[in-house]
Amino acid sequence: MIELAIGQEVEMEYGGRAQVLGVIGSGGQGTVYVVRYNGMKWALKWYDVDKIRNPKAFRTNIKNNISDGPPSNKFLWPKYLTKENSDGTFGYLMELKPDSFDSFVDILNTYKLTVDPFTGRSSKKPVRFSSLYAMVTAVINIVNAFRQLHRAGKSYQDLNDGGFFINVDTGAVLVCDCDNIAPDGNNFGIGGKPGYMAPEVVRGVAKPNVQTDKYSLAVVLFKLLFRGDPMEGEKVVKDVCLTESSELKHYGQNAVFVYDPDDASNRPVRGIHDNVIKFWRIYPDYIKEAFIRSFTSGILEPSKRIIENEWQKLFIRLRSEIIQCGCGRTNFCSMFERPDIKTFKCPKCGSIFGTLKFSNRNYRTPLYLGSVFYECEIDPDSEDFQTVAGELVENRLKPGVLGFKNTSTKTWRAKMPDGDFYDIPPGKGFPVWQGLQIDFGEVTATL
Amino acid sequence: MSKEKKKAPTANTAPETKAAEAVKAAAMEETAAAADPLDFDDDDPLSATSVSKKSLVIFFLIDTSGSMKGKKMGELNTVMEELIPEIRRVGEADTDVKIAVLTFGTQVRWMYSEPIPIEDFEWARLRADGVTSMGEAFKELSARMSRNSFLNSPSLSFAPVIFLMTDGYPSDDYKPALAELQQNSWYKFGLKAALGIGNEANDDMLAEFTGSEDTVVHAYSGGQLAQMIKIIAVTSAQIGSKSMTLSDDTNHELSAEEVRAAKQKLLGQQIQDSMTNLGDADAVSFDTGW
Repeated sequence: MIELAIGQEVEMEYGGRAQVLGVIGSGGQGTVYVVRYNGMKWALKWYDVDKIRNPKAFRTNIKNNISDGPPSNKFLWPKYLTKENSDGTFGYLMELKPDSFDSFVDILNTYKLTVDPFTGRSSKKPVRFSSLYAMVTAVINIVNAFRQLHRAGKSYQDLNDGGFFINVDTGAVLVCDCDNIAPDGNNFGIGGKPGYMAPEVVRGVAKPNVQTDKYSLAVVLFKLLFRGDPMEGEKVVKDVCLTESSELKHYGQNAVFVYDPDDASNRPVRGIHDNVIKFWRIYPDYIKEAFIRSFTSGILEPSKRIIENEWQKLFIRLRSEIIQCGCGRTNFCSMFERPDIKTFKCPKCGSIFGTLKFSNRNYRTPLYLGSVFYECEIDPDSEDFQTVAGELVENRLKPGVLGFKNTSTKTWRAKMPDGDFYDIPPGKGFPVWQGLQIDFGEVTATL
Repeated sequence: MSKEKKKAPTANTAPETKAAEAVKAAAMEETAAAADPLDFDDDDPLSATSVSKKSLVIFFLIDTSGSMKGKKMGELNTVMEELIPEIRRVGEADTDVKIAVLTFGTQVRWMYSEPIPIEDFEWARLRADGVTSMGEAFKELSARMSRNSFLNSPSLSFAPVIFLMTDGYPSDDYKPALAELQQNSWYKFGLKAALGIGNEANDDMLAEFTGSEDTVVHAYSGGQLAQMIKIIAVTSAQIGSKSMTLSDDTNHELSAEEVRAAKQKLLGQQIQDSMTNLGDADAVSFDTGW
């Protein structure tokens, strides 16, 4: 435990000094400080080199990551290395997380602790997503970040709840702790965080790699949506005390998913796992099936694990199936009544919602005032899940009349009540009516 | 909050196996209930409660005999007051960490009548007086380390952390009490560390308590005392509140035997590593100058 003192200066590799201003937090491999360098504030990760198996190789890997640069702007990537001290200790600078982001740990806890600097007393402040939309967007962003990382040929290695910051209002995501990221196949000694580690890593028969990242990613997603541990159910709780050997059993050799359809031995226990019991009922089947696959056949066969692109598609669909009813009820359309194939009905207030059938999907998408669709949903070549392409709005001059507004950069064609197709350039709209057909180019949609 | 010592009801001494069976039965019952259609009024996907957590109790066993008076107790009180806010977040989203402090002078006393969540814990400054009833303390700890008493979390627990600090040799016959404690399953799986303070403390006796020499350290000065308490408390809280990273260099299927007591071993290793980095903070030892 070699700690830096406040006010102490650390020499940077390419000149200049970073001055320590305060402590942010400690982790398994070292401590993170706020420092000032070149007139700006940065985060400095300073290593406890005793806890790193091969500090030289570890340092070289960070150096390589710095020169490769981040896969996207969703990463708080290492920026500058410090000089190595005579005793081998060193660190690196990265950008500070913006204040508008909360740690994933605080989201799981549902609160954060703020400490009064004078009395040292702590108080709890609630942390929760401000909308369902923001939550599902956060999931899409997490999946997308790992897709980008894996496409760059790298694995994260110790994917866990400490690795993300999330803006709970927008769903924006920042991946942090990027210092163990290594070219797929390399490992610098990190095993990962138990509970998130793939069973083969827990058992000691594999090192972290892209395939084990996929398992850990499924755990992260499960925790975010279902707010519980996918492997902790009755079978585990019966052990009362989680010793090292029970851990090897329940997370390695004999890991059983709490909702394994063929093995009911580890179901969630009421009073302990209430979140999981409640949320498992809410999510649509295609989401549950993806988790079942990840945590049943995906346990022993890494190739059966869900790939990021597949997750991304599932969650883009899930986001398009959120209905915000005027009565205040917001939920997935699977939690609304369905009087016929083309409509959803709010079980609380009875409001009726029409649906749109896109030619590239085999399910219908619910429509409500304010519902949107994205570029990637109307253009098969687009991966843009952030730019809104169209929105259901109310006509400003004819209150009560709903229509679609083209917010994309392309011209669409739409069938009007007179039976003819008209060009709909960007910024223009058209009414929703019984016989509506929209031609987006490669994708079409009908009411 | 009350500071009186509660007498342990006799039920507390029931064998662990019995307690485990009771829990098993309760768990079966609960799952049967869970199979019925649930009637949650609220189906809002956003209204989650905190994730289900494992629980960890950190026991501090502190010698408050007369010989601790003065600088030792002053250092100890100060470092504990400062330490607890620093490790408040150690459980992250995985573990609810609670603290229980047992003091032993002539009397054996709990600081609070039950373990207190670390986020709400406030250190009540200790005063030293009397003899060293360590055997009594072991007995009391053994009675409380039970599913029916201090370790009564309905969810899964980690084995407790037990940290003993003393500056002397027990004035009572501690052997039978320690033998009894060693039969307690929570103690067996628990993470044990001990700190001897000054020349009178006996490291062999402390190693008997922890089960290994690696987890015993010795402070001879106020500066060392503060640093060592901090190192042991932080390291053991970190290791104790998290699951174990079991994998290591050997690329082979791990067996239950290989991972047994892995946390206790890791704790010993990390404590020893930290000790080698520890400077001679101040030269005046506890046992000189008075």
